[in-house]
Amino acid sequence: MRIKEHPVLSFERGGKISFYFNGQEIEAYPTETIAAALHAAGVRKLGESPELHRPRGLFCAIGNCSSCFMIVDGEPNMRICVMKVRPGIRVEEQKGKGVIKT
Amino acid sequence: MKAVEVMVIGGGPAGLCAALSAASLGAKVLLAERDGTPGGQLVKQTHKFFGSEKQYAGDRGVHIAQMLLDKARVDSNIEIWTDSAVLSIYEDGVVTVEHEGKHAKVKPGRSIIATGAAEKFLSFPGNDLPGVYGAGAVQTLMNVSGVKPAERVLMVGAGNIGLIVSYQLAQAGVKVEAVIEGAARIGGYLVHASKIRRAGIPIMTRHTILEAFGEKQVEGAVIAQLDDNWLPVAGTERKIACDAICLAVGLSPLAELAWQAGCEMAYIKELSGHVPIVNEFLESTISGIYCAGDVSGIEEASAAMVEGRLAGISVAVSLGHGGGAAEAMQREAMGELGELRAGLMGRHIREGLAKMDSLAAEFGIRNSEFKTPHAAAELGIGCEVQDISISATSPASALFSSGVPANEDIAKICPSDERFAAGPVAVVECFQEIPCNPCVKACNRGAIAMPRDINDMPALNARLCNGCGRCIPLCPGLAIFVIDMDYGEDLALVKLPYEYVPIPKAGQLALGLDRCGRELGRYEVVRVMPGGKRNMTHTVALAVPKELAMEVRAVGVL
Repeated sequence: MRIKEHPVLSFERGGKISFYFNGQEIEAYPTETIAAALHAAGVRKLGESPELHRPRGLFCAIGNCSSCFMIVDGEPNMRICVMKVRPGIRVEEQKGKGVIKT
Repeated sequence: MKAVEVMVIGGGPAGLCAALSAASLGAKVLLAERDGTPGGQLVKQTHKFFGSEKQYAGDRGVHIAQMLLDKARVDSNIEIWTDSAVLSIYEDGVVTVEHEGKHAKVKPGRSIIATGAAEKFLSFPGNDLPGVYGAGAVQTLMNVSGVKPAERVLMVGAGNIGLIVSYQLAQAGVKVEAVIEGAARIGGYLVHASKIRRAGIPIMTRHTILEAFGEKQVEGAVIAQLDDNWLPVAGTERKIACDAICLAVGLSPLAELAWQAGCEMAYIKELSGHVPIVNEFLESTISGIYCAGDVSGIEEASAAMVEGRLAGISVAVSLGHGGGAAEAMQREAMGELGELRAGLMGRHIREGLAKMDSLAAEFGIRNSEFKTPHAAAELGIGCEVQDISISATSPASALFSSGVPANEDIAKICPSDERFAAGPVAVVECFQEIPCNPCVKACNRGAIAMPRDINDMPALNARLCNGCGRCIPLCPGLAIFVIDMDYGEDLALVKLPYEYVPIPKAGQLALGLDRCGRELGRYEVVRVMPGGKRNMTHTVALAVPKELAMEVRAVGVL
């Protein structure tokens, strides 16, 4: 859920855009990271671990920890916690290690 | 290959201050920041900083970040590369950077590593579930993106980060179920703890998390009490329903580049991990490579900013800039660091840096003509600091484990009945030596003093105080209140700092809350004074029964 009123901050989000998560259209704002937009839409499971297939979510949000790796426009291992959302991008859950396109 | 005089790696508080000070002395600086916007962790700090005016105390981190960045952007000696992660530092000093999709090579005369720190993790079953976050991640979601991370949060760790992020969660309208802390005492500043207690958030010291549970994401946690050996006490397990668990269990230096460059490293536990060995000018064992901020030891952001400034001056001097003025600037920065670290809260830092000093001497990089800003003995302080603390507030006070000042603490600072009868007066509920002094400056009448240094507890001269309330919104810890016992026949007027939404309105009834956030009654809001564009702390005047004037410490909007 997005914060509407805050005692210290004001959020200038710009105009609404949309992108796709696992094929489903999701609304977002261009100032948001993919992680923030997914959170706002209630999506917290971002992928699955390589061996035990346990759900994976966001941990550090500063591009450090690798927990948020997802597939963006076919490219795996994207750190969606620091990657800004862009109109029309296709974001998918990453199951296990990504396969880099050759 | 791009040649620059100074390369600053990392655009957080240390990096920005390093770039600004080196540039101010005439050095040409390239600042590389891996994020899209410099500012580091400052950009998510909505609370007011501690320290003194020189470290922008009283300003909120987010405003400090903007101010530093605005300065750096217009400085013709500074070039800023954003979205540019530094990849390596080679033996010949060449720094490689991922910049605009290319592998860029830079040849700097000097490099300053200011890469900061990363959050520590904690082992427990279920710690990999979505909904287990680092405290910084929660701040990023809330304060940078404006997205609520969850509805109900369990905070693990009662250091400054755990306490501050809990407060910020409450400000964003998220319920914090509890703050749990393994140690017997709250590690962060007590004023932060008191603030969240007034918001009704429990702090449970000597408690740990045993596991996180949930199918696809966090649905709750099992916590338990710890004994004096840090082992869970059987039978004390209890479930806490929550949709997020926030880990605030410390930071470790992001020192990979220093390792990779070949700087001599040491594990110094007081500095929170493996750190590059640096001398008093923050130069590492590799000539020309300096380290500033959390990368060479975890401290508060105020210290990181001063370290950045010191490193920036020092590289400029070593490149022949600055002339005679530079040495005075170095001494000034060292003096500020010494002061920030002088109090009881800086004790472990002093111990860690004393180890750092002897290692630096061992590696032959100390410059003996300068006194170090951090070795306790050289500052003429040490164990006596502890004694002062004991005399001021008993360390056995429940305040240290609960965050709520005990009656004995309040009795020490409560103005006399005669003083109350003489008119409005400030009540300063600050019970710990922390490096912070904006209250002293806030008072035009000189009623608040810190005789020794900024680590003193504020001493109120109640005769000089006229109860004007100017200090209320200027105290970064929100620990000052004003009481007018003579407001009405049975009523006292209590003026309280307020930083939540919605803002109460004059004439309405609001909840009067005690120091634990318990409702004492519904009282009239007499006045609401905004703190202004930059301060942003409101002062709310509440008319309460006289006998509750020393009990009501927070306002809740109905």
